[in-house]
Amino acid sequence: MSRPFLCERLMPVVGILVALVFSPIVHAADAGRAQEQAQRQQTQPGNNAPMWRDVRGGVKQTTQVRGVETNVLMQPSGQSWREVRPPMSLAGGLLIAAALLALFAFYQWRGPIGVHEAGTGKLIKRFSDAERLTHWTVAISVCILAVTGLILSFGKYMLLPIIGYTLFSWLAMFAKNLHNFVAPVFFFMLPVMIVLFVRDNLPGPGDLKWLLTFGGMFSKSGHETPSGRFNMGEKALFWFMVCALGVVLCLSGAVMLFPNFDQGRQIMQSANIVHVISALVMIFAASFHIYLGTVGQRGAYEGMRTGYVDETWAKEHHQLWYDQVKAGHARQHFADDAPDAVRAQVADGLKA
Amino acid sequence: MARMKFLCDAERCIECNGCVTACKSEHDIPWGVNRRRVVTLNDGVPGEKSISVACMHCSDAPCMAVCPVDCFYQTSEGIVLHDKDLCIGCGYCFYACPFGAPQFPQDGAFGLRGKMDKCTFCAGGPEADNSEAEYKKYGRNRLAEGKLPACAEMCSTKALLGGDADVISDIYRNRVMKRGKGSEVWGWGTAYGKPDAKPATPPGAKS
Repeated sequence: MSRPFLCERLMPVVGILVALVFSPIVHAADAGRAQEQAQRQQTQPGNNAPMWRDVRGGVKQTTQVRGVETNVLMQPSGQSWREVRPPMSLAGGLLIAAALLALFAFYQWRGPIGVHEAGTGKLIKRFSDAERLTHWTVAISVCILAVTGLILSFGKYMLLPIIGYTLFSWLAMFAKNLHNFVAPVFFFMLPVMIVLFVRDNLPGPGDLKWLLTFGGMFSKSGHETPSGRFNMGEKALFWFMVCALGVVLCLSGAVMLFPNFDQGRQIMQSANIVHVISALVMIFAASFHIYLGTVGQRGAYEGMRTGYVDETWAKEHHQLWYDQVKAGHARQHFADDAPDAVRAQVADGLKA
Repeated sequence: MARMKFLCDAERCIECNGCVTACKSEHDIPWGVNRRRVVTLNDGVPGEKSISVACMHCSDAPCMAVCPVDCFYQTSEGIVLHDKDLCIGCGYCFYACPFGAPQFPQDGAFGLRGKMDKCTFCAGGPEADNSEAEYKKYGRNRLAEGKLPACAEMCSTKALLGGDADVISDIYRNRVMKRGKGSEVWGWGTAYGKPDAKPATPPGAKS
């Protein structure tokens, strides 16, 4: 059996790391039990209690059948996984439902956040083409991964009773394959996104004030707390969602996506739990970002869609950054050469 | 109605792997898939025991509980079967099963999983009994032919028993009661101590 060179080199390393965690206990017990079993056969023939204790402990034994963990007669961790997963999914599902309800209520109460003054028609190139390409690749892949993941997690309870076994199985199969093939896109674009966006997401002046006032979301005047190119909310999203959860999702997903590395069931169960929890928190956080980037705030969607924002939008939502652009200190500049179609689109986005 | 069960007598199993072979040949199982395997515990140490294991057809089956498309079902005889037309090959049953019963034929690159395959207690699948489609997906339906699982039927030492739980547990109980003689009888050590008059068991240990 020939395997790729890389995995032959890598897997022992991973295996050793895993073994380091579990082996001292297992091996000590192994030798002790085997001896105990041998002794027990002398004093009490037919009493195999020490052997059965090994079986219940999931100790590795001997078998002629080749395969992943075929030498383990019983694995006890599967039952734990089975018991942990449903309540965890349920809690996550409720969390997402609560987030969507809260956003709907907020939209009803506050409506879209607009600009107080009319747009000047003077545009700033807020996002470079590379930034937009990266953002939309990650955004679209996250949406596909989220929807297919939710189908696989909750479809059994919410879709299956409605659309029936055959249709749901087809849908789930499609969702699984889509999830598996879109995952690498996310995997490879995530580091690009981190590199491109990290610079303007480092802590800066105004962050603390923005955080303490919630960005002015509940202020009477309706004016936003001044912020740099990205406000504290966006920065939190970047560090928490993209850097922390995104990386955790990629790694835990890869463990489950490639069973050909012969990893055991315990590591896959753990990866699954980590993947589900971080995915549900990710969807929870992403729903706020998507809300503010689409219906929640005028001009935001056009900003990422076209790359250009109106001067007024910049002044009202990112005042510190606007001042920098005006002074020529920022990497972004006023764009007088923006095409007319873009101008119309940006102006349209600001309209109430 | 009978409740179908497997029972493997560890005192009798000689690790011949005849059950594994019988299963593979009866159902034309592809390479890389083993619905049944024999595990030897404490191999090479005095008192080693071998046990044949496959799907144990649990009453509260973890695979059934975790399957995202709900492709498992339990027959009136307690046999856990699954519908390969519904299976999406996600591997959750493999995570959950304590016995390592679910098997996945590799389907494409990177270890992509195909439709799950497991022991059917020689009872086929949802298709019509002994139909061509059923044989191709699940193997022979011996129960429909009035026979018991091939692995248990083939077992050379009759260590592996398969059938109605009441019947096979009676057989096993009889064996345990009549097995050995004198101090080899199960429980002798606890009741009477060893012939050489040394205390056979530490206080409190069960025999």
